[in-house]
Amino acid sequence: MGASHGRTKPNEFQELMDKTGFSAEQIKNLRIRFRQLSGNEETISRENLDSIPALANNPIKKEIIDAIFDKRNQHESEVGSFQEIGFEQFLMVMSHFRPPTLKTTVEEKEALRKEKLRFLFNMHDTDNDGIITLDEYRKVVEGILSKSGAIEPETAKGIADAAMLEVASTNVPNMAPDDFYEGITFEHFEQILKGLEMENRMHIRFLDVGTTMRCGRSTS
Amino acid sequence: MLLLGLVLLLLPVSAADLPGTGAPPLRGPGLGFSPPAPASSSSSSAPRLLLIPQPGADPRAPGVASARSGMEDPTGPVEEQEGGQHHHGGGFRVVQWEWSYVQTPFIIAIWLLVASVAKILFHLSQRFTTVVPESCMLILLGLVLGGVVLIANKKQLYQLEPALFFLFLLPTIVGDAGYFMPARLFFDNLGAILTYAVVGTLWNAFCTGFCLYAAKLLGVIDERVQADLMDFLLFGALISAVDPVAVLAVFEEVHINDMLFIIVFGESLLNDAVTVVLYKVYISFVEVGVENVQTADYFKGVASFLIVSIGGTLVGLVFAVILGFITRFTKKVRIIEPLFVFLLVYLAYLTAELFSLSAILSMTFCGIGANKYVEANISQKSRTTVKYTMKTLASIAETIIFIFLGISAVDKTKWAWDTGLVSCTLIFIFVFRAMGVIGQTWVLNRFRLVPLDKIDQVVMSYGGLRGAVAFALVVLLDGERVKAKDYFVATTIVVVFFTVMFQGLTIKPLVNWLKVPRSTNRKPTINEEIHERAFDHILTAVEDIAGLQGYHHWRDKWEQFDKNYLSKLLLRKSVYRKSELWEAYQKINIRDAISVIDQGGNVLTSARLSLPSMASRASFPEVTNVTNYLRENGSGVCLDLQAIDNVPGAKVEEDSETHHVLAGNLYKPRRRYQSHYSRHFMPLGEKERQDREVFQRNMKSRMETFKSTRHKRHKKERSLKKRRGSDTKDDGGDKPRRNVSWHDKDPVVVPVESEEAEHSDPEKDEDVGITFVARQVETSGESPPSVPAAVGGAQSPTAPPSPISEGSQLPWKGGVSSTPPCVSVEATKVIPVDLQQAWNQSISSLESISSPPAPVEPVHPRVIALSRLGGPRPASYTPPSSLGSSTSSIGAQVSQGSFSFSEKKKKKEEEEEEEEEEEPAAQELQPLMSSLRPPGPLPPPPPPPGSAPGPGGRRNPCVYLRSLVSAPPAGSSEPHSRGPTQL
Repeated sequence: MGASHGRTKPNEFQELMDKTGFSAEQIKNLRIRFRQLSGNEETISRENLDSIPALANNPIKKEIIDAIFDKRNQHESEVGSFQEIGFEQFLMVMSHFRPPTLKTTVEEKEALRKEKLRFLFNMHDTDNDGIITLDEYRKVVEGILSKSGAIEPETAKGIADAAMLEVASTNVPNMAPDDFYEGITFEHFEQILKGLEMENRMHIRFLDVGTTMRCGRSTS
Repeated sequence: MLLLGLVLLLLPVSAADLPGTGAPPLRGPGLGFSPPAPASSSSSSAPRLLLIPQPGADPRAPGVASARSGMEDPTGPVEEQEGGQHHHGGGFRVVQWEWSYVQTPFIIAIWLLVASVAKILFHLSQRFTTVVPESCMLILLGLVLGGVVLIANKKQLYQLEPALFFLFLLPTIVGDAGYFMPARLFFDNLGAILTYAVVGTLWNAFCTGFCLYAAKLLGVIDERVQADLMDFLLFGALISAVDPVAVLAVFEEVHINDMLFIIVFGESLLNDAVTVVLYKVYISFVEVGVENVQTADYFKGVASFLIVSIGGTLVGLVFAVILGFITRFTKKVRIIEPLFVFLLVYLAYLTAELFSLSAILSMTFCGIGANKYVEANISQKSRTTVKYTMKTLASIAETIIFIFLGISAVDKTKWAWDTGLVSCTLIFIFVFRAMGVIGQTWVLNRFRLVPLDKIDQVVMSYGGLRGAVAFALVVLLDGERVKAKDYFVATTIVVVFFTVMFQGLTIKPLVNWLKVPRSTNRKPTINEEIHERAFDHILTAVEDIAGLQGYHHWRDKWEQFDKNYLSKLLLRKSVYRKSELWEAYQKINIRDAISVIDQGGNVLTSARLSLPSMASRASFPEVTNVTNYLRENGSGVCLDLQAIDNVPGAKVEEDSETHHVLAGNLYKPRRRYQSHYSRHFMPLGEKERQDREVFQRNMKSRMETFKSTRHKRHKKERSLKKRRGSDTKDDGGDKPRRNVSWHDKDPVVVPVESEEAEHSDPEKDEDVGITFVARQVETSGESPPSVPAAVGGAQSPTAPPSPISEGSQLPWKGGVSSTPPCVSVEATKVIPVDLQQAWNQSISSLESISSPPAPVEPVHPRVIALSRLGGPRPASYTPPSSLGSSTSSIGAQVSQGSFSFSEKKKKKEEEEEEEEEEEPAAQELQPLMSSLRPPGPLPPPPPPPGSAPGPGGRRNPCVYLRSLVSAPPAGSSEPHSRGPTQL
């Protein structure tokens, strides 16, 4: 089946390639992976992802899985989350982590950066209201810190608070005493992460060759 | 200055020749320097560590004699130096010339001195140093020095000795580089670094060697250069390696972006293994002769490379583990922590040398590996010590290396010039470097997530600097076997000079012109740190989901391993749980605390500090470091002198100490913070509980350390004041008072306090009262000038309402009210007039330093009035400039009176009672105070200041009096600490 598949793919994936920017090889590899995860179904469910053993230790496993099933990350203006996603949606989410190439222009890089930022923002903003509230942010920080750094939840909470205040102080420098900083908007979010080279950080290498897929199979 | 240094350098050398030729020179104890007698610069294997060589052939060059006038016979220097020494024929010598005894360390010290002074001189001109790299200047200086030495001595006395270089100079630089290597960045780019280091260096070495041979065959290189293929390959091997010292020296000043820097620098470190192996292999080939080399030898060469590189790395890692493990147990002997770091890192280097493994690799990986654990284990002070010592050593070693490079170049006997060889080498190394970089980058970019663009490649090609390693290696060559050694030496020198000086000079403009992204020397914010972590996890998760086992996957695996095993093994239990992020958070907190206090409080930044409870809650051992950090910053925030002695076992005390510092500093911001956020998540009750806790802790510690340190008292009092300010919040915002209260941390306060304390030493009880009020009035006098107008304005609206109402409310008001009678009695008694005058003067001088005296005026009327009440006190009547001081002196006396009063009260230990009793007294005072207010009949009438600060300034003292007078009781017994919270 593999051989025949391989021949038909370029045409089959042309649309996906245009949409996500992946190469045909990458799409092929991801498709194999997708089928592994879904157990040869057309769609993938949360349970499928939950059962990835390598993910078990990840402190933000839940957030990541939520983000994958989040409709906002599909480049469409829908809100909400899927119960199951097909391969195309899977690719769309994955395309957020596409690295820039040498040919990427400055504008494209900027767009890429925004896109990645948006993904992050959506991940933090669990209730879709366009603002990362303190509670939401706390959860994220606690998640990141409590397991990985072995910090007490109290400390994580404190750090989240401090981070939040930092956002407030950088974005609203002249806040009146009675003002209340409600939460991080996307603009503020962009502002505070200006120092990070998102376009150079938030990506992984999708392999062009299918060799490592065998390793992938072994993990699942 | 330089001349002086030069004379000093020449002096010992020539002097060494004089009496030292016969006597066996004593070795410097423990230094391991060999005696200077056997001077054979061509012996490659025997390590000669001396800077000075060759006291051999002609001990007394005429040049030296001319350089040092009046030196005609061996007694010359003795007389010149010692002055009184005349008899040296026999018998007892009063003063002896012990040159041979001190020679080695003396010369080393002189060289260090010259190098350091040279550094100072270079940095005199700011503009100059931004254009010309220091390394260039040092080489030039070396050239000049070498020239002078040569002219003076007809032969070169100094040169860069390979053994000295490899055993002492290089390790200091590599150790520093390895230990402070940004590990994450390094490992993120490890693939590229390794490629450039191994493949690139091999490529350079072979291409340069073969092409030089081709040039030789073509006749470009002169016939006199007797070298065959093996010699050229050997030369290519040693000349092709990018030099860490040169790269560091040049790139440090260029400030290119981190990634580029780490790639070039990492390459220069890691190519050591390649260089070492190639060098050794070729040397052995040259020795046995090319025709005798068998095929197996080539494989041995490859095997040797693997062993040297991997073995070196392993040795480094083993020492890193040892180092981490040792520092786990140094809690009781903090003082030797830095020593362990130096010793083990150096031992890693030496051990690798011992087994002829790659010493640079070993040291680098030892540093990288140990850094994380060591930094977590050792104390903050040790960290600072390690950092500074390493930087100092590395800096001085670098200086010496470049100076000696310059000096060595002057030695004509060592090298022979061939234009063909030199120009060919220059061209080849440059061309092959560029080709190698471009080719490898092309390959690498197919795999790299962050591709290296053209500009990066240009900088990397251009940054391929050669340096002292190549020079030391070429000097090590055996002139017997490598016939063309002198030509190689000359060529190496030219290459080194060209790359360091020409490329070093031009790389900065080039980088500017190409607009290479620079590094930003900015501390990451909390959010950035958080997201750095988030990225790691997100990317790992995505890799896992996508079924890729990429970099992040393995990094995550490694971190799990580190967390589960390594950290448990190498980290102290107490630090084990702490994370870097937490530290960053901590630092930001402290930084903000400082800035808040310095600026007088920015609402939002201060808000960030708002979690003082965390310091106490999370039991981390670094709390003490917070104190240290504060002190190191010299911000004057922490005046806790006691905490300086880091007494082991006193950790609990220090904890609470730090807590007090934090609580004292953070308390106010916290209130701010709550005004923003507490509505949502922090129950009000908790806040009050914390307030009380802070307060009670302050009170308790005040009791404990009542007499111990003035500074501490000072600090606590401040927090107490803040407490007061918050208690009377209903009277109108706490902000102004907080602002005022910061002024008591002014350095001015401390001397006042101390003097006061001295005066009142006999009367123990009054000490505190004096202290407080002295500062209080000081504050009132000071605050208007030093606080900007905004704060001054803010004071007036929020000043406590009417004194009367307060008096009726507040128990401590009574203390003030009852003062007038006491003042007259106490004043003369406690502070004698003469002492008082001196005291006043000191204060006024201090005050005039810190602030213009004008706005003290609001206090003025009261001063006069009180002084009138106080009776004979002419000394305090120093006209306007010293008004503040007189005020404070009187205030002090007032407080003494008041204090003694309240102290008596306090003995009853009944606060309610006290309150009742004092109330009438307070009311009595009110008319008095108010009558004093109009600033009319003053002997020295200063111009009335702004109306706003006037009443504020006038009232503030009252506020302070209130709070301060009540302080002693509060500090001395528990019921009193209860007092404020009751309100």
